[in-house]
Amino acid sequence: MKVNGVAIDDTFAEAFGMSGTGLVITADSSKWARIAADTMCGFGTSVIGCGAECGIDRELAPDETPDGRPGFRVLLFGFSPDSLLPQLRNRVGQCVLTSPGSACFNGLDAPQQLALSAGPRFFGDGWQTSKRLGSRRYWRVPVMDGEFVIEDKCGLTTDGVGGGNLLLIGSDRAGLLETTEAAVAAIARVPDVITPFPGGIVRSGSKVGSKYKGAVASTNQAFCPTLRGAVNSELSPGTIAVLEIVIDGLTSKAVADAMRAGLATATGIGTAKGLTRISAGNYGGKLGQHHYHLKDLLA
Amino acid sequence: MSGLVFKLRAVLTERIDLKDIVPNTLAGLSLHDVQRLSVGTGRSEADIGELFFVSGSPGERLVIEGGTSAIDGIGSGLKAGTIIVEGDAGSLAACGMRGGRLDISGNTASHLASGMRGGIVVVKGSAGGLVGAARAGERFGMAGGTVVIGGDAGDRAGDRMRRGTIVVRGRCGEATGARMMGGTILAEGGFGDGPGPLLRRGTLIGPSAERLLSTFADCGHHDPVVLRLINRHLASTLGDLGDLTPKPLPLKVRRFAGDLATIGKGELLLTG
Repeated sequence: MKVNGVAIDDTFAEAFGMSGTGLVITADSSKWARIAADTMCGFGTSVIGCGAECGIDRELAPDETPDGRPGFRVLLFGFSPDSLLPQLRNRVGQCVLTSPGSACFNGLDAPQQLALSAGPRFFGDGWQTSKRLGSRRYWRVPVMDGEFVIEDKCGLTTDGVGGGNLLLIGSDRAGLLETTEAAVAAIARVPDVITPFPGGIVRSGSKVGSKYKGAVASTNQAFCPTLRGAVNSELSPGTIAVLEIVIDGLTSKAVADAMRAGLATATGIGTAKGLTRISAGNYGGKLGQHHYHLKDLLA
Repeated sequence: MSGLVFKLRAVLTERIDLKDIVPNTLAGLSLHDVQRLSVGTGRSEADIGELFFVSGSPGERLVIEGGTSAIDGIGSGLKAGTIIVEGDAGSLAACGMRGGRLDISGNTASHLASGMRGGIVVVKGSAGGLVGAARAGERFGMAGGTVVIGGDAGDRAGDRMRRGTIVVRGRCGEATGARMMGGTILAEGGFGDGPGPLLRRGTLIGPSAERLLSTFADCGHHDPVVLRLINRHLASTLGDLGDLTPKPLPLKVRRFAGDLATIGKGELLLTG
């Protein structure tokens, strides 16, 4: 199947159920809110190596945040609520509490909740005070530039999905990167999803396992262009580069919408910048509960 | 919206208590049953039907026409629905209220919102002493909900208050927030003598205080984020109350920590 000259593989992305939560991080300026959010999301690309997958969902206008200041909504995903909680506490405690002028609020309304403040609030060493306003409870922790405000709890979903993906394959590395960037930008406009890898893009697609003991994942040689002639390659002779977009979402629909947006943008650009083919990563369909068939997303 | 209207037949000669005469308890009763409910507190029996012209049908709303300071306990026990009082209310209005809304167009006597846990109370006039305070023998006063008073509040508002928000568009009397353990009191017209005696936790906000207790420590001028949260909370909870809509708090305040005669985790924030 070809769309605007780009070949679309008859395959599917295989994704996994994840636990997820959302935070709203604010500060005196958009610049400092972003610094706090970016710092918190650092080293949050893959749940296997980083403990959690994190990213900015979207920027929030002052009238969308609890304290009326500029902010960002951040999403975090982990294997389970139990594994998510320490990541949440450590990241908020080390990266948001420490950031000038910051505050941290719940960013996901859900019946299940995580104890967001349990940890960071004890930095107050007994000087922390709580303030309940309506149904929401906040903690005020004295810090050197005033007070760090953190909401007591944040929502938790166990219906999250991690590992939605698109593989963009091309004949020009620089042009392929531009096309992939455009697809990531389109995905960023979809609510409730993140693309946790650097700039939303992975250049090191992996396979499960390795010839070396202790390595749980290793390079996927079938998609490495420089090994094209040496291994049982998935790539055609003209292929110079493959870039992957990995998508995590609070719901399966959000992941499907994001993949749809990425596909539409990439195929809209077409072959002009070297994109030749779009595929998706899976494990034969036996490991992940969620399958996203590319042909369905183009309909 | 269905509801009942109680219209006072004549000037009351003794106090009556409308505790638990609220939409959520009247629902399901016939008009006849409602009229036979006893509300007297004196030696003579007094049914609602003897004291009020009752019209309408039990529903989500109760209107009390001809409210006076002799009617105690209005809105006490309210969990859902709306009570509108045209006139004054006596003591213990909204006492133990858990939800819904109580609107009073006149003044109230003491202990407004004592033990209140949820809902909204709007008093157009002034309130007597001990707004949101604990009653004698009770451990805590107000523990949730929002109260707006268009006029002044008497002495010791928030005594042993634990949670919730009280907004006084006018002035608070003496010893506001005495023994308070949490919650927020805003006095747009300022505080009387010595706010916060034995204040443990909680926030008192106003432009001025007649006299500060010596056990409150000046911590300087600050712009705490919590003021923004309070502004947002009031705007979203109350909506537009017309003339009674609270003014947004200024974002910079002078903070006094206290009462240092206790654990000192409370605060008086002066906006002036």
